[in-house]
Amino acid sequence: MSVDIYKINPEFRDIMPKEILDLEDNATWDGEKRGINDLTDKKEILEEHSLCAGCPEAAALRYILASLPTPSETVIVNSTGCTSLMFPHIALHTVHSLFGNQNAVASGIKRVLDWRFPDKTKDVVVLAGDGATIDIGLDYTLQSFFRQEKITTICFDNEVYANTGGQESGSTPKGQVFKMAPKGKVFDKVPMWELAVTSGCQYSVKLTASAPKSVAKVVREAILIAREMGPSYIHLYTPCILEIGLDANEGLWEMKEQDKDRFVSFKYVSPEAEEYLKNCKKEGIL
Amino acid sequence: MYYVAKVNSEMCSTHKCNMCTLYCPEANTLMYDKEPKHGNSNGTSWVDEDRCKGCAICVYVCSDLLDRNCIEMVMVTTEEA
Repeated sequence: MSVDIYKINPEFRDIMPKEILDLEDNATWDGEKRGINDLTDKKEILEEHSLCAGCPEAAALRYILASLPTPSETVIVNSTGCTSLMFPHIALHTVHSLFGNQNAVASGIKRVLDWRFPDKTKDVVVLAGDGATIDIGLDYTLQSFFRQEKITTICFDNEVYANTGGQESGSTPKGQVFKMAPKGKVFDKVPMWELAVTSGCQYSVKLTASAPKSVAKVVREAILIAREMGPSYIHLYTPCILEIGLDANEGLWEMKEQDKDRFVSFKYVSPEAEEYLKNCKKEGIL
Repeated sequence: MYYVAKVNSEMCSTHKCNMCTLYCPEANTLMYDKEPKHGNSNGTSWVDEDRCKGCAICVYVCSDLLDRNCIEMVMVTTEEA
């Protein structure tokens, strides 16, 4: 999508809502230096959302959108889940297909974009929950890694099927009980960040959304690597505060706790990707 | 009526901070005005009350993590809003 689509006909400026005017006047787009610090005083690409008060996933999406290097050349592919409630509110091209097939759809989009626009750099970013990435869509996720598709996959891991009432997912830790999983999980959490490495990802990171600047750095690195090298994967802990019984202001505390436990930092960068990132730093892209 | 966050701009402008604006889960809601305020060299955070859902994460960040106590939750009514 070209940023020009938000350029308002001067004849209509006096009748346009302030939110639309702000998108043209105060948001940061391609060619401008943009990043996480824009969240303090610039118009965001995410206008608003209908997620719960205090939802860590919503905060994480703010960080990710602010970190996109070239938003108007980015296509976001998402899947069914809480995340899909946010995408109608963002000023980017988004694609929502069937539950779980987001990486297959993203692979096709990326291939077509590279064929259709050989002189442009197009980023395709997958944003999906743990059910879509690790359970129902595991086949598609791994196949996109095996085939070295040049896409970035970001998994919002809340460790449960949250918006259908609390069923356990592959990402639920062993022993965890939910409203619709009263017997407790009987096997271990699927280590998707490790599967990503063995499946061919050039870059795989596990972290929580407790540190905005860390999330922003990782997202930017992952997208740059996906452009040139191959698939990149980010496993991001964004707990569902409702399903684990926390108050609206306790999501950040929970993520900080898990920084020391299940989500202790994991980072894999292939030697080639590491070299590439060094060059990006030298050139000032990163 | 419901609770929303309210920034004490006089206290906020004594710090060079704006951490609350990063941690707010709502978009375009907790913003930072860079214009120096109250005789200090810093600006201040401010809340768009119509967008605030009252989660109070900003209070946790400002008071519990940073010990600055510049934000509180206040009840708004239609008359005040």
